[in-house]
Amino acid sequence: MNNYFSDRQMINVGPNDNNLSGVYTGFIRGNMFPSLYDQYKNYQPLMLNPRNEKEQYLLDLDQVQFAMHDIHLYLDNFPNNVSMIQEFNRNRDMYNKMLKEYEAKYGPVVIYSDALNKTPWQWDSRPWPWERSDN
Amino acid sequence: MWAYQKKLQYPVNIKRKNVRLAKYILSQYGGYAGELNAALRYLDQRYNMPDERGKALLTDIGTEELAHVEMISTLLYQLTKDATLDELRSAGFDTAYVEHGRDIYAVNDNGVPYTAAYFAATGDPLANLSEDMAAEEKARAVYENIIDLSDDPEVTGVLLWLRQREIVHFQRFKELYDDYKKMGIGKK
Repeated sequence: MNNYFSDRQMINVGPNDNNLSGVYTGFIRGNMFPSLYDQYKNYQPLMLNPRNEKEQYLLDLDQVQFAMHDIHLYLDNFPNNVSMIQEFNRNRDMYNKMLKEYEAKYGPVVIYSDALNKTPWQWDSRPWPWERSDN
Repeated sequence: MWAYQKKLQYPVNIKRKNVRLAKYILSQYGGYAGELNAALRYLDQRYNMPDERGKALLTDIGTEELAHVEMISTLLYQLTKDATLDELRSAGFDTAYVEHGRDIYAVNDNGVPYTAAYFAATGDPLANLSEDMAAEEKARAVYENIIDLSDDPEVTGVLLWLRQREIVHFQRFKELYDDYKKMGIGKK
């Protein structure tokens, strides 16, 4: 899973191919496009430091999903950008693999999950998204 | 249709209760610049967009706003969950407690209930998209006011993230608006 973190130490490095941030940088900023990034006063994005394996898996999942999503919104407006479509699919492919892995370890995220083929019913399990993860 | 994902779009794990801050954040759930208003605005406006780009963009940003409703609600829940009645009282949250207990309820920071009158859907793509651009700027401005008032860096981090999404959404709406304008869409 650590290969998904390749840009973690690159927070101050500029854009890579396609003028996109790395997935970690883009995710903590809430913006995959360095040219669009708009800092408020002197505030810096919160660094996200997973405290355990589960949080690390979830961060991997979240950041790749976010990259997909921000590229998705871009593609809605520019549907003929070939390299962005490739970038979307590269992330989509990673996400699908990571989601399967995460759900096998920690339970279902979506109702289509293979992790639901079990008794008792795995959907009724903590934590719910609004519950603090340290609880 | 929509399918629930049992996770947040961005993690929210606030350790310290803070009722005063929750009261400010309430406006970004049920206020005029709130996430609920954003979701309904875009989802209501999407049906008559003139091309596939507009239908896709309003569907997808409207859907993302629902994920932001969940993040804001999570902040409200975590910031008030362990608060004593005295703490609710001293932050002026006791009046919300009377009718709603500790439930999340769509009102603004002054307790005014959410109303769909906070947004417009005009049937005109240019009027709708320029309203959407203004809406993103208003939400950005309100997030900045709350960030200025925030005394918890963890909460500020979440608010900064949500603020940044307003920047991105504004840009996407503007791109579409500018292109529709150039194409002469909306001229009767």
